[in-house]
Order: sequence, then structure tokens, then C-alpha cells
Amino acid sequence: MNNSHISRIDALETKSSTPRGKRSMTAHLSARGLAKSYRKGKTEVPVLKGVDLAVDRGELVAVMGASGSGKSTLLHVLGLLDSPDRGAVDLDGGRIDDLGDRKRDALRNQTFGFIFQFYHLLPELSALDNVLMPLLIRHGPIGYMAARRTYRRRAEALLDRVGLAGRRTHKPAELSGGEMQRAAVARALVGEPEIVLADEPTGNLDAANGRAILELLRDLNRERELTMMLVTHDSQIASRADRVVRLVEGRIEEFSAAPEGSDFAASRL
Amino acid sequence: MYKYLLCWKYLRGRYIALASVVSVMLGVATLIVVNAVMAGFATKMRSRLHGFLSDIVVMSYDRNGFANADEVTARIRQIAGDDVEAMAGTMETYAILRFYVGGSEVTKEVKLIGVKPEERAKTGDFAEFLFDENDRPAPASFEVSEELRKKTSPAAGVLGENMDDDILNQALRKQALDDVPPRGAILGYAMATARDPEKHRDEYLAPRGTKVMLVFARASKRPEPATDEFTVVSFFKSGMSEYDSSIVFVPLERLQFMLGIGDGEGRGAVNQIHIKLKPGSKADLNVLARKIQRGLERLRPLYFKVATWEEMQGPLLAAVSIEQDILNMLLFFIIAVAGFGILAIFSMIVVEKTRDIGVLKALGASTTGVGGIFLGYGLALGIVGAGTGLAGGLLFVKYINKIEDALSALTGQRVFNPDIYYFSEIPTRVEPLTVAWVFCGALLIAVLASVWPAIRAARLRPVEALRYE
Ligand SMILES: Nc1ncnc2c1ncn2[C@@H]1O[C@H](COP(=O)(O)OP(=O)(O)OP(=O)(O)O)[C@@H](O)[C@H]1O
Ligand SMILES: [Mg+2]
Repeated sequence: MNNSHISRIDALETKSSTPRGKRSMTAHLSARGLAKSYRKGKTEVPVLKGVDLAVDRGELVAVMGASGSGKSTLLHVLGLLDSPDRGAVDLDGGRIDDLGDRKRDALRNQTFGFIFQFYHLLPELSALDNVLMPLLIRHGPIGYMAARRTYRRRAEALLDRVGLAGRRTHKPAELSGGEMQRAAVARALVGEPEIVLADEPTGNLDAANGRAILELLRDLNRERELTMMLVTHDSQIASRADRVVRLVEGRIEEFSAAPEGSDFAASRL
Repeated sequence: MYKYLLCWKYLRGRYIALASVVSVMLGVATLIVVNAVMAGFATKMRSRLHGFLSDIVVMSYDRNGFANADEVTARIRQIAGDDVEAMAGTMETYAILRFYVGGSEVTKEVKLIGVKPEERAKTGDFAEFLFDENDRPAPASFEVSEELRKKTSPAAGVLGENMDDDILNQALRKQALDDVPPRGAILGYAMATARDPEKHRDEYLAPRGTKVMLVFARASKRPEPATDEFTVVSFFKSGMSEYDSSIVFVPLERLQFMLGIGDGEGRGAVNQIHIKLKPGSKADLNVLARKIQRGLERLRPLYFKVATWEEMQGPLLAAVSIEQDILNMLLFFIIAVAGFGILAIFSMIVVEKTRDIGVLKALGASTTGVGGIFLGYGLALGIVGAGTGLAGGLLFVKYINKIEDALSALTGQRVFNPDIYYFSEIPTRVEPLTVAWVFCGALLIAVLASVWPAIRAARLRPVEALRYE
């Protein structure tokens, strides 16, 4: 851990507001000097060149940056879908990126919830089964069958919550883009994760739908005290976050509280 | 849990996967049917060979045999008395058979076997294989019946009941005796008949009552030919063409006499003793044969050769079993082909499902779990394919003769010609062990074929899979 890293966290703590007044000393999810490069033939393309970032419990952080700046890569590394070349990812102060496969699988299943730009629902399954997938993965047949009523009810409640009450048995192909993304949101939440990582969740939706999804995420963030990281190109959407970080040249270039004048930020201050 | 759900969903929605199910099914069904039929034939053949040869045969290296048959049988009884049911001495030699059809002569080289019918019938299936021209069972006897004599010889017919001993009757009697020698012979069925290609039927060249001449070598220091005449009294039809086309049975005493090794009254040399064991005998044939061999060795060293019926037919039985093995191996390639089909189809599905696999991993599915989907999928295809193949194959075997009838009716030609094979219907025999092997082999191949795609799916890194658009 280098000095600049600490000073940045210090800066963050003095600068930003404390949501709901509950702030622990250690960040919920943090990156320390993350570096990642891709090898294309002989040339090496560095994407992340030492990313330091700390996200607090219950915080909603928007990640912005030019296309190709490595936002998706960062999210994948943070969510244990990929491993960094250097640096570390900490969860509640404990390093997680170097854990064994089993533990990483369990963390992905229980602690993280993913939402993708292209929804990525499984085409063979109904909306309800798609939502249930994290729980199906978590449990063996016996464990799942024992609790299936509870799980079903939970999944149905989530579908109701995201406004898909009448679409439970629809296959993804029978849903609109916005509906698919809402099902994906429900899927990300059904396992009751602590952290939701959303990679351009509104990228493929029209403005109204995008806004609806964002409102949904923000409400859920508040209801459940979820820690959220949201990659977006839309500064309007970013303005709803507690904090916006920008990825430039492979580093987190600026920490800022939500832009002034945003009603969301104002309500918090 | 997701594994089962996804296996099920992939299995249901994918008709291309059914193609591999069908190929596994066909492979398994073919293997089961072929094995059942081959085993059926082999069993039939073995039982015929066995029936012909009794259990253990004692032979002498000397063609002319041994005159002390009583001593030998006594020794055998002494060694294996508890297990022996019956014994029969026979004399085997080679001969040339000759008879006339119309005006032309038919000549064949034959194996001449002198037997005592009642003894031979006790040591093996002999009586069971004797028939007359109309395929009715014939008695195990060489007796030339009066009826046959009258039917065949005009002189005997004229003679009738007339018992007067005048010159005419004497001449007639001589003529009748000349037409129909008083000694019977049993001819191999295939020798006595010829196939009519037009009518697809066997026509008798030498019906009962035909006079046949046998030429053979006398048992003297310098072999010289001897001839004898017999009347055909019945036909030997065992279903083994090797036997049916080369064997002639004649009375043992007469043969011994003609060979010059007997006194014509039942005491003479034999060169084989057939031993039949008691039905319930638990003795190991090979062990017993070695024991008898050792015992006889003491009686007369380096003279006797003792063999079990299986050893005597060793090459033939081995050939049949090799044939079955090779056929099995070749047919198993059918299932292997099905395996490659599964491999190809699964690899396609893995490529197609790359993104979904990435999603599953992002949601926390483990490497083994994702691999398990495809292994389970392969296993499911294998079970369905092998299961339906098994059921289909067994049903086919069960109704094979009805199916054959239907096919024959449809094509107007016998698919399975009972005349050629001497079987009234196709023999089948389902061996549970073989069926189990085929089933497990098919399952194994299906699973093996899905291993590689499964490993590929499991190895996919979630990010790479997700970037796949
Ligand atoms: N598997 C890969 N092999 C080589 N280069 C890669 C690979 N994946 C990503 N990159 C490169 O890494 C860089 C960062 O990609 P990333 O997807 O993280 O960008 P991004 O910020 O999410 O862009 P966008 O806003 O368009 O989604 C890009 O320049 C991309 O070309
Ligand atoms: Mg991206």
C-alpha cells in the first residue's frame, strides 16, 4: 500500500458525505494498485495501470471514462471475473483476488451481483428461472428443493418489484430490452448480494427505460443498503450517484462528489 | 441444481442432439441383434457338435485300432467310473462311396464310421439325427426291413410270401439279395441329396433302398482294397454340413470283419471310444480327460489320445468365437462413430453457448459444475440412446422370426432359408452379460465423447466468454 493510496482515501473521507451516517473505517470494496494489460501478439496493451479505489458500504459509485479506457476490465477484476496482473482487490479489508477458485466462485455467487449491458439472460429459461439461477447455482438438488418455495416467492417478489409480475413465464426472446434488463436486475439481487456491479446497464435502452432502470437501482441501493458500482457514459445518469470516478489513461483520475446541483446529491447533503 | 435444469433444457430444445441419440440407438440395437443371432447359431452349433461327439473321446494313433477294447473300457470305468454314463466303441476309416443314379455313377470320398447303433445312441445325439426321405424320424438301426426290400427289388416283390424252395424262387431270392444287400448303411443327408436350383428343394439321389458300394483299405501290413455293398436305410442330418456331407455309418461288426480286424461276432478292434458322462456330473471335462490319458498311458504308452469334444472341434469353435469377436469389434465402431457425432454436436453447442457459460460463471458456477452440464448431457444422451437401442434390439430379437416372415412375404424371397441352414427358424440367444457390456460401452463412449467439449466449456474464462458477442 503506497502513500498516495492512503492519502486518496483520506481525501475521500473528508470530502464526501457519509450516507446514512453509517461509515466504517475500512472500505467495503477497494482496489490497490490494480494493473492489467492484454497481450495482442507481440505488443502488450496496458489497460489498467495502477487503479486505486475504495467504495464504502452502501455507496453508489458511477464509473465514467472514454470507450476503451478499461471500465469493463476494472469491473471484471473487482468482481473476480478476471484477475489483475498486479495489485489487489480487498473486500472488507481482506484480500480476495488471490483466493482459490472455490472461494472466488462462492464470492461471485453470494457477495456480488452482476448486471451486464447485454442483459445476458439464458435463452432457454423463463424469466423466473433466469432470476432463480444464482440460487440454483448456490445449492445442490436437495438443498434447493428443500427451500424452493421460499426461493420462488423471493424471485417472484423481485420480479414484481421490477415490474415484471406478468412476465414470469416469458422466455428472454419474448421480452423487450428494458424488460430483459429488469429481469437481469432481479437476477443480480435474488442471491441477496452485498455489492452490485453494473456495466452500462442502460447502454442499450432508450432514455426513458434507462432512467427507469437507474431509478430502480437507486431505490434498491437505498432500500437494501447495497454497495453499487455503475459504469455509464451518461453524465445525467452519473449525476444520480453518490460519487463519480473517471478512468483516464488506466488510472482513476478524479474523485468527486456528485456534481453540484444534482437533486440526488443535494438530498444527501 | 442448475446442472440438471440446464441438461434437461438443452436436451429438450435441441433436435440435432437427437441425431446422436439415434446413432447410439442404432449402434446398440445392431450389436444386440447381431450378438443374439451369432450366439444363437454358435449355441446350436456347439450343441450339435457336442451331440455328435459325446463328452470325451479316446482315440488310438493307430488307424487299425486296438482289439482290447474291453480292457480299455474297464480301465476307463476304473478311473472315472462314477461319472461315466455310457461308452461306445467305434471304428473310423476313409472310404469311397459309389452308387448309381439313373445310368450314371456318383462317387464320393467319405468318412466311414462303424457303430453299434444302440450304444452310439446312448453316448450322443445319434438317433435324433436320423430321418427318412419325408423328414420323419427313422429308427437307430441298420436293419433292412422286408417292406423296403419289396419296394425296391422287383424280384423280392415277385417272391412275396412264396416260401417254396424251387429253382425259380432260389434265383429270385439271390436276385433280391443282390438288389438289396441285407446290411444297412446310414448316409449323410447332403451326400444323398442334390439341390434343385429351380425349385429350391433338395432332391434325393440315393433314396432309401439304394444299393451303395464302399471301397476301403483293409487293415493289413500292405493295405489292399476291399469292397462291400450296403442298402441305404436312413439319412443322417445333424445340421453340420461337415458331417452331413461326408459321413456314412455302417454296422461296426461288418466293418471290422471287412477290414480284417474282427471275428464278425462283435469282438474286434475299434479306434475310438466315445465316453458320455452322467447328466449331473460335476467333473471338469479337461481334468477328467487328462486323468484318463494318464491312466491309459500306463496301459499302453504313447498309444492313446484322449480329447474332450471341445478340443476335437477346437479350431472350428475358436474360429466361430474369433468371428464373433471381430464382428463385435467392427460393429462397435458404429457406436464409436456415434461418439464422434456427439463430440461434434457438443463442440458446436459449447461454441454456441459460450456466452451463457460465461454468465453462469459470473453468477458463481464452478468449473467442474459447468463441465458437469456437458458430461451429464452426454450421459443423458447415452442413456436415452442406449436404452432405446437396448429395448429395440431385444424386441427385434424376440420377434426376429416374425420379422423375417414379413420381410420374406414382402420381397417374395426367403431372407433366411431354412433349407440352407437346417434351422426351422433363426436361432437367437440373448446373453445378459453381452447386453450389459454393449449398454455400458455405449454409455462410456457417449460420456467419453462429451469429455472434451465439457473440458473446453469448463476452461472458458468468464470474461472471454462474456466478450463473445
Ligand atoms: N481480450 C482482450 N484482448 C485484447 N485486448 C482487450 C481484450 N479485452 C479488452 N481489450 C482491450 O482493453 C481495452 C479496455 O477494454 P474495456 O472493455 O475494459 O473498455 P471499456 O472502457 O469498457 O469500453 P466501452 O466503454 O466501449 O465498453 C480496450 O482497448 C480493448 O480493446
Ligand atoms: Mg465496457
